[in-house]
Amino acid sequence: MDRRELLKLATALGAGSVSGAFGLGCKSTGPAAIRSSSHVVKPTPAAITYFERFGVTEGLIRQTLRVALGKGGDYADVFFQHNVKSYLALEDGEVNRASANVDLGCGVRVVKGDQTGYGYTEQLTLDALRRAAATAASIADGPSRAAPTAFRADPGPYEAFPTRYSLKRSWAEVSVREKLPLLMRLGEHALKKDPRIKKVNAWLADEAGAVLVADSRGRLVEDIQPMTVLRLECTAEVKGRRETNNHTLAGREGIDFYTAERLDRVVAKAVERTLILFEAVPPPAGEMPIVMAAGGSGILLHEAIGHGMEADFNRKNVSIYSDKIGKPVAHPFVNIVDDGTIERSRGAINVDDEGNVAERTVLVEGGKLATYLHDSISAKHYKVRSTGSGRRESFRFPPMPRMRATYMLGGPHSKDEIIASIKTGVYCENFSNGQVKIGAGDFTFYVKNGYLIEDGKLTRPIKDVNIIGNGPKVLENIDMVGGDLEIDEGGWTCGKDGQRVPVSQGMPTVRVSSITVGGQKAG
Amino acid sequence: MKDLRDAAHRVVELALRQGAKQARATTYKNREIGLEWRDGRTEKTSEATSFGVSFQLYVDGRYASVRTSDLRPAALASFVTESVELARAIAADPFRELPDQALYEGRSSADLELVDPALASFDSHACRRTAKEFEDGARSGTSASAILSVTSGVSVNHSQSFCFASNGFQGDRSDAWITLWGEVSVKDPNGRRPEDGLYAAVRHLRDLPSSAALGEASTALAIGAIGAKKAETKVMTMVVENRVARRLAAALVSALTARRLQQQQSFLDGKLGARIGSKHFTVIDDPLVSRGLGSRHFDDEGIAAKKLVLVENGVLKGFYVDDYYGRKLHMAPTTGSPSNLLLRGGTGDLESLVRNTKDGVLVTGFLGGNANSTTGDYSLGVEGLRIRNGVRGEAIAETNISGNLLTLFQNLSAVGADPFPYSPTRFPTLVFDAVQFAGA
Repeated sequence: MDRRELLKLATALGAGSVSGAFGLGCKSTGPAAIRSSSHVVKPTPAAITYFERFGVTEGLIRQTLRVALGKGGDYADVFFQHNVKSYLALEDGEVNRASANVDLGCGVRVVKGDQTGYGYTEQLTLDALRRAAATAASIADGPSRAAPTAFRADPGPYEAFPTRYSLKRSWAEVSVREKLPLLMRLGEHALKKDPRIKKVNAWLADEAGAVLVADSRGRLVEDIQPMTVLRLECTAEVKGRRETNNHTLAGREGIDFYTAERLDRVVAKAVERTLILFEAVPPPAGEMPIVMAAGGSGILLHEAIGHGMEADFNRKNVSIYSDKIGKPVAHPFVNIVDDGTIERSRGAINVDDEGNVAERTVLVEGGKLATYLHDSISAKHYKVRSTGSGRRESFRFPPMPRMRATYMLGGPHSKDEIIASIKTGVYCENFSNGQVKIGAGDFTFYVKNGYLIEDGKLTRPIKDVNIIGNGPKVLENIDMVGGDLEIDEGGWTCGKDGQRVPVSQGMPTVRVSSITVGGQKAG
Repeated sequence: MKDLRDAAHRVVELALRQGAKQARATTYKNREIGLEWRDGRTEKTSEATSFGVSFQLYVDGRYASVRTSDLRPAALASFVTESVELARAIAADPFRELPDQALYEGRSSADLELVDPALASFDSHACRRTAKEFEDGARSGTSASAILSVTSGVSVNHSQSFCFASNGFQGDRSDAWITLWGEVSVKDPNGRRPEDGLYAAVRHLRDLPSSAALGEASTALAIGAIGAKKAETKVMTMVVENRVARRLAAALVSALTARRLQQQQSFLDGKLGARIGSKHFTVIDDPLVSRGLGSRHFDDEGIAAKKLVLVENGVLKGFYVDDYYGRKLHMAPTTGSPSNLLLRGGTGDLESLVRNTKDGVLVTGFLGGNANSTTGDYSLGVEGLRIRNGVRGEAIAETNISGNLLTLFQNLSAVGADPFPYSPTRFPTLVFDAVQFAGA
């Protein structure tokens, strides 16, 4: 139960030399304009547009919340979700597998202090919703509280709700026949690229759908949430030996995201990453300096500090960072953020699953621990504003503090200077998965592709090696930071307490002066 | 069950009427109650009943597999129509058909005891009481002052499903299980807050271990992790505790599927009949274990459940072959997915196996890492205790093991007689010689 897992949707992929023009980039919308306190804003009445088709009305929500507050909960909310996932797969040269998944339902949550009662239903009838609400209500045991009589759109301290991923065409409007050529192109080009490629698997996943959050304070917001992931996996054979590797693209994007150039780059990357595995030498074992390449190396931040900064663990006093706010944890040139605002990135959200505008949250500023990631429960506990980090896998789960896109800002060093500074070490370029124990602080990430660094130069490739460290120690050991921040374009999924949510991560080139590399030879 | 059966029949009928040549539908209902307890009070309660239908369509030689939780009749009807259209839009696949009816035959009628009537009345109050007992146990010892927090939880699931295929298969399934888990965080003078815990999942209430004892043992584990340091970077013996051995089972299973074989992504391809492990390495998939968490009478495709020998005395004997990849590979289907995975027990228990270890590490947990199913290369994070001359020593963490799975299985030198009962992977304590550790 204590391990937080991060998986690449696919395993492995690359950021390496991805050109900024093709990457998701890191175009941050920044914090939305904050309302000036003297400016009086008329409450905007809320409108139910998307969920109207399912018979969801303000009246239905009002009656559900009335039951939810029937036993004296401090706060209640409803979370409606409609999600249609489609999936097409290419195998053995044909797109011959299709699947689809439709989820429709509503979760009702009641909060009393920091205790949570939760119920959900897949039937959006008044009866079913009242039953879910009654279940959730039972966390409290007192006289009923009043439910709101009207609902308003309330972006909190911001002037308006942001729009970080509106699409020209929803995936619901894209036919299967439009998607097929994308996969066929990947398959054909990958096989043509190199005769050593023997098998190609490709898949395209897309999501259309929306969420609606309404709460006992009378706030109501809908958010349309698209998503897509494209993955290409190649298996190659050389003199009886086989290797498999892949490349993925992911984002809150539409079909126009998949330009010919992008697809060709996916092919080039997947083929290159697979073939280089045949040249790999055994990775070294033991403590040594490493360089984290720009991009997917943000996995180190996700594990080494991101989870430990989720405020629920700190509220419960079980994180290794529980007593470190305001204290120096890294060199002064280390700045780490968790950001829901990167347009169209996989980790972007307009509002979190409690209806709060998602912001850019500074975790480490000038080397000092700055802010935890808050949902509304922890925000109340710490008497701060929610950072818009309350997320959930689906209507079947209550929200909790989660990361969105976690990355380090650029620093004063150059990539070349960082690599040149190491006599013997490892350069980590592609990753498949990671994990952390938030109390002990130990974390790992699995390197799918990397290089040995010998006498300040990248020399022979390495592969399949786990690296393990301790969060606070590794943060202290980050002693060089490049200026080349890249947000990884791959599709990461973060697991915590049985709930999976999409996230992004990024990193400039970084040096860690010492960490344990789990290779096969004493280094 | 009647409503589930009717719904499954209705979906298949709708699909055939829309032009599907064959179809299979599984309808299901799952009721779950759960409670999480933390430091003297309830943290979270949840309760819900979930419904849905998943179905597979075979249309003009084409295939689609879909699922929905939107069971409003009009919505479901249009979803079936759209799904048939979805299948029609993709490429034909000559290997897609419902399984041959012969594979449905020979289904066991044994009572697998998958539903304990006593669980029906195990309500949220009982969950609360049980979760609280975990904390009471955790705080009962002399090390209670080191405890920062105790979290525990109990969940009870009741699940029913009905599967109907247009070529004659039908089967229903009811099962229930209860899960108890808990975690203790303790203060380490060096600033760490090591956490550890235990869990148990069982089908019958009377098989559930004492919650208080589980709590007490969890505290001992967390306390044992205080002061953990990296192990040396060297080759040593590895003793893997039964409750975490499933991490290694997962690495094996992923290379044993027909899909991996057909896609040339298995390091076990071409090794049928060859030695892949030591004589102690016998692995069996047994779907008919009484009260087994993975037990079943038939699998997702309706194939009658039978015992499947995967590895016998170190020799590779079988694969997980589903109907589709079986057709592609001209291999007889066995089953597409694991049920209960057993590793044949040897002699002794954790204590005796530790005692027999001269220089090694007792692995009590894995942390991250991965195994490459195409090549067998693995690299995994581990934690546990150093063993010297048969005696448990200091706690170790931040340490990796790595190598190739074939070498690891060949180096399996002893196996306990203590299969872990609380998981579908019932592996005993395992001892491997000559494992590369990387730490300090």
